[in-house]
Amino acid sequence: MIDCLIRQPAAASAWNARPAGVLALLLLLALLTGCASTPRLADTTEDRLPRQLLLDEVPFHAQRYYQCGPASLAMVLNDAGVDVEVDTLIPQVFLPGREGSVQPEMLATVRRHGRIPFVIDGHLDGLLLELDEGHPVVVMQNLSLPAWPMWHYAVAIGFDLDRNELILHSGEEPRRVESFRRFDATWARSDRWAFVALPPGELPAGVRPHRAMEAISDFESLQGAETALPAWESLAKRFTDNGLVHFGLGNARYTTGDASGALTAFERAVSAEPGLAVAWLNLGLARRGQGDAAGAREALEEAAALHGHWQPHARQALETLEEG
Amino acid sequence: MMKKICRYLSPLMIAALVLGSFSVSAAPAPAGNDLITTQAALNAEHGQADRERIHEILARDDVREQLITQGVDLAEVEARVAALSDAEAAQMAEQLEQLPAGASVVGALFAVFVILLVTDILGLTNIFPFTR
Repeated sequence: MIDCLIRQPAAASAWNARPAGVLALLLLLALLTGCASTPRLADTTEDRLPRQLLLDEVPFHAQRYYQCGPASLAMVLNDAGVDVEVDTLIPQVFLPGREGSVQPEMLATVRRHGRIPFVIDGHLDGLLLELDEGHPVVVMQNLSLPAWPMWHYAVAIGFDLDRNELILHSGEEPRRVESFRRFDATWARSDRWAFVALPPGELPAGVRPHRAMEAISDFESLQGAETALPAWESLAKRFTDNGLVHFGLGNARYTTGDASGALTAFERAVSAEPGLAVAWLNLGLARRGQGDAAGAREALEEAAALHGHWQPHARQALETLEEG
Repeated sequence: MMKKICRYLSPLMIAALVLGSFSVSAAPAPAGNDLITTQAALNAEHGQADRERIHEILARDDVREQLITQGVDLAEVEARVAALSDAEAAQMAEQLEQLPAGASVVGALFAVFVILLVTDILGLTNIFPFTR
């Protein structure tokens, strides 16, 4: 009797364990994956975008083995006017030991081929706006779960807002259709990492000045000021009141031998941001290089009066000027 | 023998590297008509210390070795290292093993596949083409 009483609830709980277990598993999965829902676009984005868009001129290269990195690069580089084959890119970006390609080298390889890699802000709005600008976007996804990752590069080439779908050249499948929801869930696991590869002079649709300057400056270090100059010119046109942008333009002009153009840019820089010591400093040094001692002193004095990293440099330059 | 050479050589190498990197990183006040480079201005904006910069510059040697270990063609190593920005080189040197490598394969067991099948059907992952 007592046995029964004890056993009965035990048996009942054994029966109830299955749905509870399934529920627990689902909860665990939800925890593991984070709750995925269809990402909502901002109203301003919706207004700007067409309902459907497909960049159908972007060529497709099927990946072989684990080489989605080189294949994705070939697609965007070809689209940006670089005539390069997947087979050329494999030894340049693929890591045999990791059987894959890592993000820094994806960007570096774009640079090697004379295009500027701009990492774009990680949200669906930004991605779709790039597509609208005609730029195919390389995205990094983790197609699997964080615990057992399956990292993958693909190229976004279009979308359908009515059906909430993104179109990608991915793996062995051209124009693969993924729902925004599923795409965003897999993209979120790479912290929504994405970039565009653009010829110098073209800029991403949405880019913050500082990030763009870093991208162009890194490109300039490898490819030289001559090649990077058009990028600085466009950036200065886009961000007319950013002092540091004009400063970068001034440097690129100066290095390519356009001293008077450089002076104009440095002057724009200090009039946009009178507190930008480094621009006063370079304005002074460039004027000195042009034999304008009075103008040089004026600018260097401004630089030397500003506290911060460049003050000692400005003071020293001022001393050399007095001596010379 | 090798050890002896190394003992004499390594301080020299260290000195050479440190001196070599100083000229780039610490960017002494321009003596001639050298302007402050954009890179130097951006680094200063970041408030990046010169010590960090030296670290980033030395990182390239590590990356070179790592690329060789990972089986990269020797003829390609130099060009690959050169194409990296300083920050990227530092990132590669410090955490190449942890960096995700896009490859589109799952290195996991069968049991995991069952779970992934479920998440695929739920639309959280995208591994099996037939679930779409």
